Amino acid sequence: MSTNKENIRNFCIVAHIDHGKSTLADRLMEKTGQVSERDMEEQLLDSMDLERERGITIKLTPVRMFYKAKDGKEYVFNLIDTPGHVDFTYEVSRSLKACEGAILIVDATQGVQAQTLANAYLAIDNDLEIMPVINKMDLASARPEEAADEIENILGIEAHDAPRISAKSGLNIEDVLEQIIHKVPAPKGDENAPLKALIFDSYYDNFKGVICFVRIVDGTVKVGTKIKTFMSNKEFVVTEVGVFAPKMIPQETLSAGEVGYIAASIKSIEDTAVGDTITDADNPTSQPLDGYKKALPMVFSGVFPLDGSKFNDLKDALLKLKLNDAALSVEPDNSAALGFGFRCGFLGLLHMDVIQERIEREFDLEIITTAPSVSYKVYKTDGTELMVENPTHLPPTTEIDYMEEPVINASIFTPPEYVGPIMELCQYKRGVYRDMVYLDKTRVQLKYTLPLNEIIYDFFDSLKSRTRGYASFDYDISGYQRSELVKLDMLLNGEICDALSIIVHKDKAYERGRQIAEKLKEVIPRQMFEIPIQAAVGGKIIARETVKAFRKDVLAKCYGGDVTRKKKLLEKQKEGKKKMRSIGTVEIPSEAFISILKTDNDN
Amino acid sequence: MSGIYIHVPFCKSKCTYCDFASFPKEIGKMESYFACLYREIEGRGRQLKDKVFNTVYIGGGTPSVVDSKYIAGAIRQVKKFFTLTPDAEITIEINPGTVDENKIKEYKSVGINRFSIGLQTGYDDQLKRLNRVHTAKDFLLCTNMLKGENISADILIGLADQTLDQVKKSIDLAIAGGVKHISVYALTPEVGTPIYTDYLNGELLSDDEVADIYDGIVSYLKEKGFNRYEVSNFALDGYRSKHNLNYWKRGEYIGLGVSASSFIDGRRFINTFKIDEYLNAIIYNKSPEISSDVIEEKDARFEFIMLGLRTADGINVEEFNANFNADFFDEYKSVLNKKAKYLDINGNIVKIKEEYLYVQNSIILDFIEE
Repeated sequence: MSTNKENIRNFCIVAHIDHGKSTLADRLMEKTGQVSERDMEEQLLDSMDLERERGITIKLTPVRMFYKAKDGKEYVFNLIDTPGHVDFTYEVSRSLKACEGAILIVDATQGVQAQTLANAYLAIDNDLEIMPVINKMDLASARPEEAADEIENILGIEAHDAPRISAKSGLNIEDVLEQIIHKVPAPKGDENAPLKALIFDSYYDNFKGVICFVRIVDGTVKVGTKIKTFMSNKEFVVTEVGVFAPKMIPQETLSAGEVGYIAASIKSIEDTAVGDTITDADNPTSQPLDGYKKALPMVFSGVFPLDGSKFNDLKDALLKLKLNDAALSVEPDNSAALGFGFRCGFLGLLHMDVIQERIEREFDLEIITTAPSVSYKVYKTDGTELMVENPTHLPPTTEIDYMEEPVINASIFTPPEYVGPIMELCQYKRGVYRDMVYLDKTRVQLKYTLPLNEIIYDFFDSLKSRTRGYASFDYDISGYQRSELVKLDMLLNGEICDALSIIVHKDKAYERGRQIAEKLKEVIPRQMFEIPIQAAVGGKIIARETVKAFRKDVLAKCYGGDVTRKKKLLEKQKEGKKKMRSIGTVEIPSEAFISILKTDNDN
Repeated sequence: MSGIYIHVPFCKSKCTYCDFASFPKEIGKMESYFACLYREIEGRGRQLKDKVFNTVYIGGGTPSVVDSKYIAGAIRQVKKFFTLTPDAEITIEINPGTVDENKIKEYKSVGINRFSIGLQTGYDDQLKRLNRVHTAKDFLLCTNMLKGENISADILIGLADQTLDQVKKSIDLAIAGGVKHISVYALTPEVGTPIYTDYLNGELLSDDEVADIYDGIVSYLKEKGFNRYEVSNFALDGYRSKHNLNYWKRGEYIGLGVSASSFIDGRRFINTFKIDEYLNAIIYNKSPEISSDVIEEKDARFEFIMLGLRTADGINVEEFNANFNADFFDEYKSVLNKKAKYLDINGNIVKIKEEYLYVQNSIILDFIEE
């Protein structure tokens, strides 16, 4: 069943996190009768438990809806939900390519925020028609006029006619649906031209093989069509095409302007890279579509099984996650302290958190993660250059000419009263001030260049606590800059623990060393002997703490009735010890490796 | 050799740290309790008629709080249905202020030959805070009545604001009372006891402070001729408690009465902790046991090691090898190596070095087999 292109609208929703994206998506589906109110599960498109719990959208989810408009015609809406977090910007840009328009939601109580701006610019860059919507009108503190002014002043998008809605209560949702018809252009494209379809996402299904999420730009595809991918240059025969409603529903064909999926018994997700173009093998188009910039991992962390014997399970889990997540990089790693594991690359901290949590939940594996690192460029004295993501791989100081670290352009939106504390924080984090713009009397935009390795520690938390949660933050990677970096090692009982090594700026080494030593003193339980904890840079000790030996570790009484109890107690302690790692004779709990991150830098 | 334990679940009032089966308010059930206890003694005695026992221990609660005729009756019943060695050690726990000349006379008349007195501390304010029913003076009155007898005293360490000097003075008091044996226990705040509140409020001594007192006491007692033969137990030569040593040697024992535990023929079992349940079980000829575990060989080995290493004598490797048809030094090679620093290995005797006896859990843990 093909719909006249004139009656198709392809759009996405973009917004700052928590401004109501998923709730509006739910409401649109409900209003168009896509799901009955009875079947309505909160935030339908966030299908992962994790997404629902955290109130974030991680994966793209397209959905098709039918809407009978006031002009009497029936329209097909294809909504592509997008993630709201800065880590997932690349996913947003992917979905934008499949759309003609974007609904820009702005919270009537908060106005324009950092990611409102970032996402709106992304949409503008992709030539999308932007349709502002002012949400959360049910709240007493809503100030829609100011929000509309901000949209006009900051983004230069007309907003006085923006629907003022409450996605929560359902207020004025009809206005949104009507405006979509008038503001979002119908797709162009020629269904008689050779097939040209953009893969904007994909995942691996155990029964059907790779499922490609596609936007058909030109032509038509149906079961039996022999297709070909441009980049991988592979051919497949289509076994199923269909749409999302929001579950997958098979269709006879997909034609120009439509959004749907293609299955073709594709065994490897590598064969159908996101951003690739699918065409008809027998009647190919000459020109593929513009692809996407590949998302590069920016944050790296060691991931090790808590129980060393679960290495293969962890490997399987990571490979499965990688199937559906092109941005995740996985390489084998080996640590003296933690044994065999993997060095994983993530888009950002949230991405890292999400992957780690999915490993633990979906695969029921307990893991140890090491402090995140970024990717450094090391220029050696012999003229060669290498990238170092793992502090233990850093060559000896004598072989290093100089190093560069990745830096970001940060944009921070804040009420004016927090400008001082934020500037202090940015300065402390080695930031370079770029610009400050008063957007209106309640909002200031600060621009800074900051080293990425300062952001991955506790920047978000510090920003939140300094601004009582009122500031928002967005960044993009701006490149590399030369920097005085050193490797900070931690020694336990005189032995270097490789999994605790980090790369830091020379001026921060002493402070970080002291903080980590203090933190380790807190998390390492007392043992039978005194444990010196030392921080060292290039063999020089810069900080020291001591975990005193314990003095009493015995059950006071052990008579007839106590034997079983004591035996159980010891067995439990033994079980607990399995969660510890040994560095020489020192036993350290697995959380020590990540807790060193959570040093309080606010002092 | 084997032991018999008899539990008397009555006392005048509950001490703040007590989490034993002891019920001051149930004193009215005394008559029926002992009737049932005698019946259990008879039943178990018939079951175990082929075994020889060399110790009896009457604990509680406060066994001295009940009329001595019940205690005497219990001992007679034991002698009637169990096989005791002629020199059997028969101990009763008593509290100062709950005994008189007549009670003691009756105890002795049935063969009780060892008296374990709950002194806890020689300071009246500390005794009061623990809700003990006696004073330091009561202790001396009590030992006066027991002149020349084999007496032991219990001392508690870790009390709020307690100092090493105070504990030494309490020990002096015990020695003045003529005790031959002293047990020093660190106060263990159990959930549900009143003292747990003190613990939560940080009023009790820290582990480090307790360890300081303990170390001080170990050497103080040594000076006085009391040698440590187990983590908490000190005795003049020839006065070790045979009954308790049996526990650490993993000997057999039968427990009689509420909450009593037993280890017979490789099985560990425990009687109910509730008086009414106990009475009903006995009256209706049912088992008062609430749990029963047959100990597997792997656990048996670990028990042998864990209990043996609590004692100053350590474990006898020959005995271990004979019991379990094993080669101890070979099978535990890696842990013996790993913990060599803390162990004293002399021929067939393996023990924890004296200075590490109070931090032994971490050492023992490694002997648990995977």
